[in-house]
Amino acid sequence: MTSSARTMNGGPPAPAALTTAARADRISKAYGRGDAQVVALDEVSVALERGVFTAIMGPSGSGKSTLMHCMAGLDSVDSGQVYVGDIEVTRLDDKRLTRLRRDRIGFVFQAFNLVPTLTALENITLPLDIAGRKADQAWLDTVIDTIGLRQRLEHRPSELSGGQRQRVACARALASRPEIVFADEPTGNLDSRSGAEVLAFLRNSVREMGQTVVTVTHDAVAAAYADLVLFLADGRLVDQIPDPTAEKVLERMKGFELPGITA
Amino acid sequence: MMVKVTLRNLAAHKLRLALTALAVILGVAFVAGTLVFTDTTGRRFDDLFARTGQGVAVKVRAKKVIEGADAPAVPASLAGTVARVPGVAQAYGTVNGFAAVVGRNGEAVGGSGPPQLGIGWNPADRDHPVTAGRGPARADEVVIDARTAGKAGLRVGDRARVLVQGPAQDVTVVGVVDAGNLMGATVAAFDEATAQRLLLRPGQFSDITVRAQAGVGETTLRDRIQRALPSPAYEAITGTKMRNENESEVTRILSFFRTFLLVFAVISIFVGGFIIFNTFSMLVAQRSRELALLRAVGASRKQVTRAVLGEAVGVGVVGSTLGLAAGVGLALLLQQLFRASGAEFGGGLTFTYRPVLWSYAVGVVVTVTAAYFPARRAARIPPVAAMRDDVAMPPRSLRIRLIAGSVVTAAGAVLSGLGLGGAPIALLGAGAALVFVGVAMLAPVIGRPVVRVLGAAYPRLFGTPGRLATKNALRNPRRTAATASALMIGLALVSAINVMSSSAKASVAGQVDEVFAADYMVTPVSGVSDPAEAAGAVRAVPGVELVTAAYQGRFKVGTHAQSFLATERPADLVRATRLSLRSGSADLGRDGLLLDQPTATSAKVGVGSVVTARFADGGTERLRVAGVYAKNQLLGPRVLALPAYRAHAAHPAGLGLMINTARAGAATKGAIERALSGHPSLKVQDRSDVKQDAQHSIDQFVTLLTVLLTLSMIIAVLGIINTLALSVIERTREIGLLRAVGTSRRQTRRMIRLESVVIAVFGGLLGTAIGVVFGIAVQHAVADRGLDVLSVPVPTLVAYVVLSAVIGVLAAVWPAWRASRLDVLKAISFE
Repeated sequence: MTSSARTMNGGPPAPAALTTAARADRISKAYGRGDAQVVALDEVSVALERGVFTAIMGPSGSGKSTLMHCMAGLDSVDSGQVYVGDIEVTRLDDKRLTRLRRDRIGFVFQAFNLVPTLTALENITLPLDIAGRKADQAWLDTVIDTIGLRQRLEHRPSELSGGQRQRVACARALASRPEIVFADEPTGNLDSRSGAEVLAFLRNSVREMGQTVVTVTHDAVAAAYADLVLFLADGRLVDQIPDPTAEKVLERMKGFELPGITA
Repeated sequence: MMVKVTLRNLAAHKLRLALTALAVILGVAFVAGTLVFTDTTGRRFDDLFARTGQGVAVKVRAKKVIEGADAPAVPASLAGTVARVPGVAQAYGTVNGFAAVVGRNGEAVGGSGPPQLGIGWNPADRDHPVTAGRGPARADEVVIDARTAGKAGLRVGDRARVLVQGPAQDVTVVGVVDAGNLMGATVAAFDEATAQRLLLRPGQFSDITVRAQAGVGETTLRDRIQRALPSPAYEAITGTKMRNENESEVTRILSFFRTFLLVFAVISIFVGGFIIFNTFSMLVAQRSRELALLRAVGASRKQVTRAVLGEAVGVGVVGSTLGLAAGVGLALLLQQLFRASGAEFGGGLTFTYRPVLWSYAVGVVVTVTAAYFPARRAARIPPVAAMRDDVAMPPRSLRIRLIAGSVVTAAGAVLSGLGLGGAPIALLGAGAALVFVGVAMLAPVIGRPVVRVLGAAYPRLFGTPGRLATKNALRNPRRTAATASALMIGLALVSAINVMSSSAKASVAGQVDEVFAADYMVTPVSGVSDPAEAAGAVRAVPGVELVTAAYQGRFKVGTHAQSFLATERPADLVRATRLSLRSGSADLGRDGLLLDQPTATSAKVGVGSVVTARFADGGTERLRVAGVYAKNQLLGPRVLALPAYRAHAAHPAGLGLMINTARAGAATKGAIERALSGHPSLKVQDRSDVKQDAQHSIDQFVTLLTVLLTLSMIIAVLGIINTLALSVIERTREIGLLRAVGTSRRQTRRMIRLESVVIAVFGGLLGTAIGVVFGIAVQHAVADRGLDVLSVPVPTLVAYVVLSAVIGVLAAVWPAWRASRLDVLKAISFE
């Protein structure tokens, strides 16, 4: 499995490759005004390839969450373009964005992933139900078996443990066979064992089911589950490590803690 | 420190509290508006009465014999007797009676409330200075007041018709007097002898007006006159007392009107209480983490309770202040409404301390009372809750609710039953309020299955938003129940009123069919008139076979004043009203009396018994019970021979005519109407007109009550809006999540709207159910007093349930819009 992300800071826009699940083309995003202005993304270009588990890392305030939010159509950009598949996200109105999120993107958040009034199964099929689509039963079975919660499908979120809830959230993200799954610190609220279960599940969904997953994390161990780690600092893509190990990632992260090295 | 917390919280939750304050504002505005308006009106009448009768030191009159009837007249000679009392400057007789001026358009001026006064002209009368023309000198001359002249379009020198209790008088207007603002009353003055003849009897006065010599006090003079009076049947009162009596009569009517409006104000406030209770419950639940933190850092339970109650006081004070201001606006609006319907009110409002005091008392007390339970709950949040992630209040069992709610409902039902069974009517009100509270307590228990059934079709019809809406409505049964209960109250009252009015209409229709055997009925539109002359005119119409003139009056048997109907040819009633004699005969002669079966039985009299009755003029009559008839709604319990009534009343109060014809039809009706063209205050009705008329007035009353209850329903709608808006805030993250995984704005709005509809329809169903039960209970309780048919207006009730669904849709507009506009990113990272 080849794992690479073409970084294109300043370079010419690349043609939309079939192997690209999502890409950002020189996107910039700033918050606030005047003196209080914070540049979250500074002309970032990135292409996320299909069938790859990518982790985005960086120190606090590096723009990693903003990058993900922008690529997932949750946040708008000041300039540049974002594509999911062959759709230009940055040109969509709210209605089309909603449909894009519903049909082509899966989400896993750090916390509060499930609607408390719905059962686990209802939560998993929620995006399909909202769309009024019938679930692909065979696929659904595969997903449910992989998360290993078949016995608890009728339970409410309040009756599940934190790890189980995140696994249900992962299943929900995959249920509609999205173009790409965005996971925002999916293990941030979990103990290491539950976290490992969730990450293993995400990696399996890439390796065995051919899904595309992008996760934002600050945990080197979590990043090590990915095929590729991208490093962000001060709103710019500064490095990447293919086939990472926790040690390699940790080593790289240490560099960010000393000012001056990021430049 | 806790004060600071309270103030900061008030500031932080401005929007959330604004809707709650609005509920307070509306209720308080109703109270304040009612009080300001009635104070103002009372003041206007005070002014009027202070002006009239100025300079009257003493009044001499006959003592009243029958409550609710006119006092007997006094002989003219009494004026001379009084005039000889030392200290009397002047004593003259006054004549008062009914006289209505017919305007150029052929209709009588005034009526329907304010009196149409006929008086004897007295040059000594200082209340009525002549502004044009002169006083009446002959029988066919009249003087009228300036405002009446304006409305009638009459000027000095014009010919006019004046209606009195007897033949109508064609007269010349010879003068106009300035009587100032009479609040809608009209005045027509005849010369003294004519006034006596038309309004009383020749040689009689209504009372004697006495003016004192300079330096003689009114009480001194009264005592002197009292000693000089020839009979204990007469009394002397001071001018002050007379003016007070006049005022107290108006005060009584005003206070009735005020009570009537305040009942509805109280209902609105009661509904508002539910909203306040619900809002504070939700605010406390949402802030439980923060309150726990306060407890954790050392605040006592009492301090937490006080902090929440402090917020309630703040909302109450702000709401009361704005409510008071809105109430003033409402009073102005009421004044405009009355002015538009013909009442004469001068501009400006009268302010007393009363509306201010009551507004604050009601606003603050209700808010604090309603917030008390949520405040106590707030204090029970354990400090450890500050450390927990999920901040939900511990779910409590509904069992205590079930028991307490059942007890309260039962107690309310018993009280209502007592109220209906003859105990003071206030008990019925208290009972109904208790039933509402009881059912509201039970509502969370009832709600679960009802909401489930209501929402059953949602998933199929509306997909996932529908399923989520039902689940959200079921999520917090107490909240759903309290919100629905607020709507329940208004709809319950409206439904009950509809059941009663529908029953009343059906009963009237049944009674008219049963006892109204005449083809036409002629009744005065306003005031009273002697039907004898009209009867003569109608008898001449070809095809008319039978004309029965009916009069009404009151006499006193023992200590009880009783009403009766009188007619000259009682035998005709057999045909005109299907009089069915059980015993005796309808031949009454001069002093005969007919009683209906229940009255005869309860008085233990029968055919041949003699009853001694005292009439309003003070005279007594030995009446012979000539017959007993089956209960008849049209006749009432007693029918008296007209000669016996005439012996004691110069101008018996006419009720109307019943006319039987050979062939009823438009032609006959037209002929009768033409024959009565000189009697503009009389209208001719056939059987269906009579029914429609009665039903129309019932409908008007129902409309009035519904309008007055609308405010309580508006407050209930505010409650739904508030609950939904707070729910949206509470579920911000959840809505954000739904939006993130692809729920469209439209679907989000639909979800909120459907939840709102479920809540509103639940309230509507509860309300109509209670209303129907109340309506049926009332109908049963008064079935023997004329409401003998039960009619449940199913289409109307269904319409009210549909209306509640519409209310649900409308109430959801703003919260749904807010939910759909939530910024997805912010929502998922909320808190």
